[in-house]
Amino acid sequence: MCIMQNKNIQTNSETFLNEVLKSEPKYTLPENFADMVAGKMARRFAWELYVKEFLVYLGAVTGILAVAVIMAFIWFAADLKAWTDFLLANISWVAGINILGLFILFADRVLLRYLFYKISLRQV
Amino acid sequence: MNDAELVQQVLDGNENAFRFLVAKHERLVLHVVGRIIQSQDDVKDVCQEVFIKVFRKLKRFRGDSRLSTWIATIAYNTSISHIRKRTRQAEHSYDEQPGLILGQEDTSLNQKMVEQEEIKHYLLQLIEELPVHYRTVLTLFHLEEFSYREIEQITGMPEGTIKSYLSRARKILKEKLERVAELEKTNIFVHYAE
Repeated sequence: MCIMQNKNIQTNSETFLNEVLKSEPKYTLPENFADMVAGKMARRFAWELYVKEFLVYLGAVTGILAVAVIMAFIWFAADLKAWTDFLLANISWVAGINILGLFILFADRVLLRYLFYKISLRQV
Repeated sequence: MNDAELVQQVLDGNENAFRFLVAKHERLVLHVVGRIIQSQDDVKDVCQEVFIKVFRKLKRFRGDSRLSTWIATIAYNTSISHIRKRTRQAEHSYDEQPGLILGQEDTSLNQKMVEQEEIKHYLLQLIEELPVHYRTVLTLFHLEEFSYREIEQITGMPEGTIKSYLSRARKILKEKLERVAELEKTNIFVHYAE
């Protein structure tokens, strides 16, 4: 009788254990977790896309300038020494204009686009 | 939509596809992360980190396994790194928590527990007290119904080890459960015998 009861307990405990093992743990995530993560990743995706495009633009502008300089030296016999002296003499202006150009390009290609993207998200 | 199509949509920058992917796998990630790190405060951040990694590494998903297996692997590795960081000073407590393994006396058993819900709660608590690898394989096998081979892919443990962890974990839990039944001097599983 006692053995039978023990066997019963074992079989039933097995079933009970299986049920417990299939129970959800106590941990939870917010209801809107998927929206939150997807929104975050979409913003990150947009930012990375804009930065990538900015780098492409920057590369294109630098390439065009490089070609222009090479052409100037080859076809128009530009004086390298004179140009170097001029650039070094006005280094602060040259650096300032470059930084300003870079910033305008960055603002146009990345910052403003990202800002408009975020505004459009808020409107939605 | 199958896994390959879903992945392609996400790679094309479709936000809704990524939302769908997160919604589809958040339960799996929550279970793996929750059972490993055991801290409600950190669960949300680690789950978020998992999905950020999924997004970043999605290009490398070749479809050799199911997407859920691949995501579970990322969740497992991220969680293990998280607890390693957190318990670096007490590495052994992450590998083994010998209390349950060595079958130490559990004083809480002295309490009278007649309600099955209480016993269920007690068992769930026992699962949380098992060593991390035991908890992980139990969760992946029973809760998420992954095969041994998939658990091997996820955790990097050999199949034999997985089977051994599973059987030892079940044995520990079953022994505790049967002790409760004996202490109650009654068949608390009468509902399951029907």
